[in-house]
Amino acid sequence: MKAFAYVNPTSEKEAVAALKTDGIAMVIGGGQDLLSRMKDYIDSPDRVVNVKGLDATVTATSDGGVKIGSAVKIVDLAEHAAVMSLYPSVAAAAIEVGTPQIRNQGTVGGNINQRPRCWYFRNEEFVCYKKGGSRCFAVNGENQYHAIFGNDGPSHIVHPSSLAVPFVAYGAKFRVLGPNGEREIAAADYFTMPTLANVLKENVLDDEDILTHVILPAPGNVKHGHYEVRYKQSHDWPLAFTTVVLVMNGVNGTSGANGTSGSTIRSARVVLGAVAPVPWRSRPAEDALAGKALNEATAALAGEAAISEAKPMSGNAYKIQIAKTAVKRAVMRAAGIKTV
Amino acid sequence: MSSRARKAVGRNVLRKEGHDKVTGAARYIDDLTFPGLLHARTIRSTIPAGEIVKVRFKGDRAGFTLVDHHDIPGRNIVALIDEDQPCLAERKIRHVAEPILLLVHEDREKLRAADVQIEYRPSTPNYDPERSAITFKKIAIDKGDLDAGFAAADVIVEGEYRTGLQEQLYIETNGVIAVPGSSVAGAAGGITVYGSMQCPYYVHRALVILLGLPAGKVRVIQTETGGGFGGKEEYPSMMAGHAALAALKTGRPVKLVYDRVEDMLATTKRHPSIVRHRTGVTRDGRLTAIDIDAVLDGGAYATLSAVVLSRGMIHAAGPYRCDHIRIRGRATMTNTPPNGAFRGFGAPQTQFAAEVHMDRIAERLGLDPVRVREINALRPGDTTATGQRLGKDSSALQVLREAVTRTGFRKRRRALAGTNRGIGLSLFFHGSGFTGAGEVKLAAKASLALTHKGARIHVASTEIGQGTRTMLAQIVADALGVRYDDVDVNAADTGEVPDSGPTVASRTCMIVGRILERCAEEMRARLGRLTPRQYLRAFGPLVITKQYERPAGMVWDDTVYKGDAYGSYGWGCDVVEVEVDRDTYEVRPTAFTTVHEIGKAIHPMLAVGQIEGGSAQGLGYAILEDVVMRDGRMANATLTNYIIPTSLDTPPMQVVLLENPYPHGPSGAKGVGEMPIDGPAPAVINALRHAGFDLREIPATPERVMLTSSVESTQRTPRTPRKSQAWV
Repeated sequence: MKAFAYVNPTSEKEAVAALKTDGIAMVIGGGQDLLSRMKDYIDSPDRVVNVKGLDATVTATSDGGVKIGSAVKIVDLAEHAAVMSLYPSVAAAAIEVGTPQIRNQGTVGGNINQRPRCWYFRNEEFVCYKKGGSRCFAVNGENQYHAIFGNDGPSHIVHPSSLAVPFVAYGAKFRVLGPNGEREIAAADYFTMPTLANVLKENVLDDEDILTHVILPAPGNVKHGHYEVRYKQSHDWPLAFTTVVLVMNGVNGTSGANGTSGSTIRSARVVLGAVAPVPWRSRPAEDALAGKALNEATAALAGEAAISEAKPMSGNAYKIQIAKTAVKRAVMRAAGIKTV
Repeated sequence: MSSRARKAVGRNVLRKEGHDKVTGAARYIDDLTFPGLLHARTIRSTIPAGEIVKVRFKGDRAGFTLVDHHDIPGRNIVALIDEDQPCLAERKIRHVAEPILLLVHEDREKLRAADVQIEYRPSTPNYDPERSAITFKKIAIDKGDLDAGFAAADVIVEGEYRTGLQEQLYIETNGVIAVPGSSVAGAAGGITVYGSMQCPYYVHRALVILLGLPAGKVRVIQTETGGGFGGKEEYPSMMAGHAALAALKTGRPVKLVYDRVEDMLATTKRHPSIVRHRTGVTRDGRLTAIDIDAVLDGGAYATLSAVVLSRGMIHAAGPYRCDHIRIRGRATMTNTPPNGAFRGFGAPQTQFAAEVHMDRIAERLGLDPVRVREINALRPGDTTATGQRLGKDSSALQVLREAVTRTGFRKRRRALAGTNRGIGLSLFFHGSGFTGAGEVKLAAKASLALTHKGARIHVASTEIGQGTRTMLAQIVADALGVRYDDVDVNAADTGEVPDSGPTVASRTCMIVGRILERCAEEMRARLGRLTPRQYLRAFGPLVITKQYERPAGMVWDDTVYKGDAYGSYGWGCDVVEVEVDRDTYEVRPTAFTTVHEIGKAIHPMLAVGQIEGGSAQGLGYAILEDVVMRDGRMANATLTNYIIPTSLDTPPMQVVLLENPYPHGPSGAKGVGEMPIDGPAPAVINALRHAGFDLREIPATPERVMLTSSVESTQRTPRTPRKSQAWV
């Protein structure tokens, strides 16, 4: 890889300041994505700013939620008691990331901000939209792992983050620090769809911004389900996956609207991963769940609804079936029904 | 010294190189450096077919050396079987990633940044092996009278089976360092090449021809090698040539190490195959006629296609007795990077077809898959397709019955019927050593030198992770009557060891091991009652060198492909259970049992390791590993999207070793390295058939399984066991 300057800031502010340069500066957390991009010459920063020293703790917030430092290791998120009990789908997504080595080294911030896995993007020889070119090679090329939702282009990547999906589903906010101070952004608004004017990155971060925290609100009376479909059981990204967070009517033991004991769904968040350029919130699936009893038939309806807006490419229609199954099974898991 | 009496063979002794590997002391090619070292980069074609019109180096050339075909002092070929492949392209381009020139510089980054533009005159490429104008090799095997065989049949079953490319995916990518001058006997003006490789003498011969140097001025030294699987059989000759040309031109050491992408894009892979079967069978399940037509996609140059085809065709009928056989095979040229050696060497492709076809025959006859194999399995005294009469060490029935008993196959098959699971098996065999007269022509040599404590092995056979050093030392220790620890192994250095042939073809144990065993037997006789130390003091150095000797009675006629194709065969039976997710079409192997009859396990743990590793690689071949070729170029040449099984994707494996000794192998041993990869793919596909998915092609990716299931639900036709052509 190209030689680079290494900066080791001792505070958030120093980290932001260190990103100001005439050349290219990039932050490094666990380095699980950046280093391989550098080795493959996808990125060749002049300056690498270490952010491993930033907040690496998970703390309780006053409203009953948690605040997760972006330097928290993925393994620590997966095994954190409060995360496991309050946000089991976050823990479920975290424990499926990469390999034990990657989870031991990789950070929450790095997982959220990792770059696409598209094989054209990852190949130095293909100068695609995301690298300043004027083509998405997947359109007429190998697109079996590409988007089936949000396919208006110009880029047809799928967002690679496993953690982003449950974060959006739980309504998380991301705290961002930049030269002009800090701001909080809803997770759902943090990720950006590609447009010709904004295709080089996958989120709202500016060059001198860093993501410092993920803030999860108190979950409330919800049921959760997370389901991933993958070729390999380790060392791989999923083909498609889903987190569902269901707000239930009534509290445990009290009667719901139609007399069943707390088993009808008031509202739902259904977010799909690895199927669109952003974590893909499926309104049709959410609508299909609202007001229904939580059972296998409802789960199947949600799966059908989720794929109603799918628009596959030439080689990935099979992913529709997989996405449908992931939605259905995530809902079934939320209902405590055995899936396979 | 009671420990002397303790036999090494059959015990799990410590690996010779284990300590260095575990502690990180082992030095691989990229760990080595030399004073004044330069780096090289290969400039490759970006088109699949055409001609080079112009090469332009843009920018500042200071510090760069360019090497092209004009710099070749000898012949511009990578010497192997045919002489069709240039070391550096002159004008004609036959595949993407064909080497055209080398850039040399001391700074790797400057090397990368250099801009070399090549202007081409493209021509139309051909990617279809069946429509190729160039056939590298044809093979015909005939036995009996095919028409008579079909006349005796009640039923004829036909089928077409396809297998895809597979990447060897050794952990260490290919790499070499060439150093000007060879230190052999003070020869000046020569070259020494260090590298990750399987066959130092292949590299040596290729360099002699490329560089026009006498043999004594070329020295090749294998460095610790992180896996090969056949992928380092022929390509290191190409790379060594490149580095050597650069080193000779610059007068400095030159390192050439590929990164993963370049290694996957440019180097050899397993030949894709199309195999068609037409089989006559009686109603009660006896094979009366076997007619096979096979095409292997050789890629752009011949490399080893001829011999891959040969092994593939000899194994094409499977381990079955049949009096009337016709096998036709050809390997043809396409405009893709050349395909070459890969563990199994043609046999996994043809036995995939044979074993899937066998289950379809059973299904057609309404027999269970075990029964149809029992009826037809080769027994001692039977003859193979080439007319080889099998000896007592033929174990098809034993491995089949052992696997069936161990897994309760028939009961499991009934229990799983109608579920989302299936169970399937495959019966297979694998010839050890070079095919036909290959070992006689090769005339491999091995040497044993007496040391003060025991002996030192001198062979060109390489340790590539499979345990060569350990296993050979065990054989020598017992034959010589010394402790295992008192036998050491010289580096595979052509300046120091004789040519014991390449480390391929499951030949190292059975062939080279036996030559060494004979060396040790003679050394023991010479020592008489003297200890090594006493002998050396009394008589001075003692080195025994022996050459391969063909076992009496072995005959082979290469012109008609008849006779004893191999000295011996290993025999295997795999049983796989799979679970299919009927929503996502994921296929997951959930149980795996394999029975291997290998003559004698010299080092049982290493033998089981070979079998587990080869089986996992076979499961990857069956389910996961998909080389995507687009416009003649591998589109998924990274580990992100060319995926191989991890331990989580591999079911628990039950490995059963049977030993039916081969009289001419060391302690009765046969080969074991390749056979494990022959069985998993057909067993998986047969298990999928049992679960209701009629696949004829691997890998069985979810996309392919999904398409199969939709075809089947609309087109499944009832089958009746009548004498008719079954176009299914």
